[in-house]
Amino acid sequence: MLFLWGIVFSPPAGRSQGLQESALLKPATDTWPTYNGDYSGRRFSVLNQINVKNIGSLRLAWIFQTHTQAIKSTPLEVNGILYFTAPDHVWAVDARFGRMIWHYQRPSEGDHIGHRGVAMYGDWLYFTTPDAQLVSLNAKDGSVRWIRELADPKLGYFSTMAPLVIRNHVIVGVSGDVTDIPGFLESLDPDTGKIQWRWYVEPKPGEPRSETWPRNSDAIRHGGGMTWMTGSYDPRLNLLYWGTGNPNPVLAGEVRPGDNLFTCSIVALNPDTGTLVWYFQPSPHDVHDWDAVETPVLFNAPFNGKPRELLAQASRNGFFFVLDRTNGEHLVTAPFIDETWASGIDSRGRPIAKADYAPRPDGALVEPASDGATNWMAPSFDPQTGLFYVNARRTFSIFYLTATGKPEGWAGRDRDLYADSAIRAIDYRTGKIVWDHEIGKGEGTAGILTTAGHLLFTADNAGNLLALDPATGHTLWHVNLGGRMESCPMTFELDGRQYLIVSAQDLLFAFTLPENLIHQSAK
Amino acid sequence: MYLKTTHKFLILCATAIITFTAAIFTDYNSFAQSTSGQAAAIERGQKQFEANCGFCHGNDATGARGPDLIRSKLVADDVGGNLIGAVIRNGRPQKGMPAFTMTQEQIDDIAAFLHARIHGAMRSGRVSDTYPLSRLLTGDAPQGKAYFNGAGGCSACHSTTGDLAHIASKYAPIDLEARMLYPRGAATSTVTVVLPSGEKVEGKLVHLDEFSVALQDASGWYRSFSRNQVKVQVHDPLAAHRALLSKLSQADVHNLFAYLETLK
Repeated sequence: MLFLWGIVFSPPAGRSQGLQESALLKPATDTWPTYNGDYSGRRFSVLNQINVKNIGSLRLAWIFQTHTQAIKSTPLEVNGILYFTAPDHVWAVDARFGRMIWHYQRPSEGDHIGHRGVAMYGDWLYFTTPDAQLVSLNAKDGSVRWIRELADPKLGYFSTMAPLVIRNHVIVGVSGDVTDIPGFLESLDPDTGKIQWRWYVEPKPGEPRSETWPRNSDAIRHGGGMTWMTGSYDPRLNLLYWGTGNPNPVLAGEVRPGDNLFTCSIVALNPDTGTLVWYFQPSPHDVHDWDAVETPVLFNAPFNGKPRELLAQASRNGFFFVLDRTNGEHLVTAPFIDETWASGIDSRGRPIAKADYAPRPDGALVEPASDGATNWMAPSFDPQTGLFYVNARRTFSIFYLTATGKPEGWAGRDRDLYADSAIRAIDYRTGKIVWDHEIGKGEGTAGILTTAGHLLFTADNAGNLLALDPATGHTLWHVNLGGRMESCPMTFELDGRQYLIVSAQDLLFAFTLPENLIHQSAK
Repeated sequence: MYLKTTHKFLILCATAIITFTAAIFTDYNSFAQSTSGQAAAIERGQKQFEANCGFCHGNDATGARGPDLIRSKLVADDVGGNLIGAVIRNGRPQKGMPAFTMTQEQIDDIAAFLHARIHGAMRSGRVSDTYPLSRLLTGDAPQGKAYFNGAGGCSACHSTTGDLAHIASKYAPIDLEARMLYPRGAATSTVTVVLPSGEKVEGKLVHLDEFSVALQDASGWYRSFSRNQVKVQVHDPLAAHRALLSKLSQADVHNLFAYLETLK
């Protein structure tokens, strides 16, 4: 029933040899053309060759070794080629056989914390770098077409995200919260790399919502709000949805009294102009590094008996939010872990922070830690179950505000005490937890994929790739991959064969069904 | 050699702590200790800066009437005074900054000071191991003692004359606070595995996930089992700490810490 209001996608301007326009017209099957697989951010695949009945027969097709740091990217798959990344690295790998086609490497200064992947437009790839450059590569051979500076790396900017292509816009975000620099999102021309628009997370003094920052100080100019992660897009409404990061100085809130818009917010922008249409702020006046950059997941489903166009986010602060994505109207706020920092929810659906849970010189014990109740690891929404899935981390830490003069940068830090994690299924209508699947001590790092084969793929904290029943959370199949999954599973079909691609540490794995089962599945 | 270096490091730490604001508790020390010449240059530069520049830019360079130089593109792009020098010598009359007559050495020192300040701000996201006790000690020790022996249930496992005797002398204050809350790695879980035959195998827990359990038995050998063939009982000595994390108020944390700090 939830299928009735499926999102219809409109194409980017395609080219004959690269990413075809039609690839984004329909739910992805033979391609995975964007970071989240499609514009909705649901990470739900309509493929069902691998399914609940034959999952026990899933077997390894190939392994690709990168010999670098952990893979945190989701590969694209276009015309039988996988494109994926690590900081400074892009690989093109044969999706059928796991052989390398080309490898691009560009050593750089800057933060190498992780990398999420590339975007594609026609024959061209777009790759962000630790020194805040955007590199356009020829997808055929990995040669460089052009390199544009997004921001000055000497000021502390870098970029880890996979850009999002909408028509002739390459939408790119930036990172960097160790210095007090303004966050922004910008749109570049896919051919020339010229800036089409730039939207700053902080309004200029005097503009609407600048009153959420102190007057007579430079706080608003140094307010942070990084655009770390790939957003989502609704072609019908022509709205781009993006999450923004924490304000700066990170832990020192007293120098920036107010809500500090548009940090820690979900914003809806016009992708052609960068104009703000609406916003919602999951963490007003954040002082815990709780970026609201987790995927804004789009789906159409009944709410209070009426069909609605919804947006849901499981946010780093431990709360799950559901909004009407046409106008930002708040519908649901509910915690998805037993957070300790909020005293309630205000009339606008925002958690109310307890004053003594803000960082302090003698330490404040808080759940979740700054690493968050969830983080970059992708959530998923399965229209077959109507459930939203998240890697939920119960993390405790003690937050110290160490700065005594004018606070700058982080101005302190939290020390991690304890963490354990679970995959949780949330009823989007109420925010209630429907099932909980423990994945062990420590902070979960795996993303989630659901499929029409009635399967949920993710990983536990012990290196096991898991296939769960999305309705119940029961384990259907597993294999120990020998390392942590720090990325998100993805899937596609080539030559009538469905592939599941996952990573563990610096290895990429492909799984398929045996030949005889593929033929059975086709009947 | 090692002792000498440590000694020098301590002196530099002390200098840094006395001289600078606590934002520099972070990593200024490691920057300053790279060479003693550099440390001296930074110290000279700070004096120069306070005397000539602090009036407008703030003594800590974070800005006052004049701009914040810690978050300045020009200073970020500067290498060894190559950009800062011209601004100091020529001033910025259109913005109200006068020119200063300074020697190259004085400019070099000011540049060294500013770069050290930026280095510290860039690494402000850390809590130093030497974070001072005075900033942590805000609680009430008698109330902490009451919590320890009462609501907290700490005395069920711990004794202030036994395992916790002199605990405050064993750990730096910042580490003691964290260990008090959750002493990671301080105690190993044990496990009892019941085989289908009814035989019990016990030992230190080595691994546990949804599918397998592994232990080290009393003889030191590693043994593992498939969880669908055995029953597993884990005994986690830190379970009470985990449970307390959800219950402790901020006052409880600081009172308990104040009490533990009395156990010198």
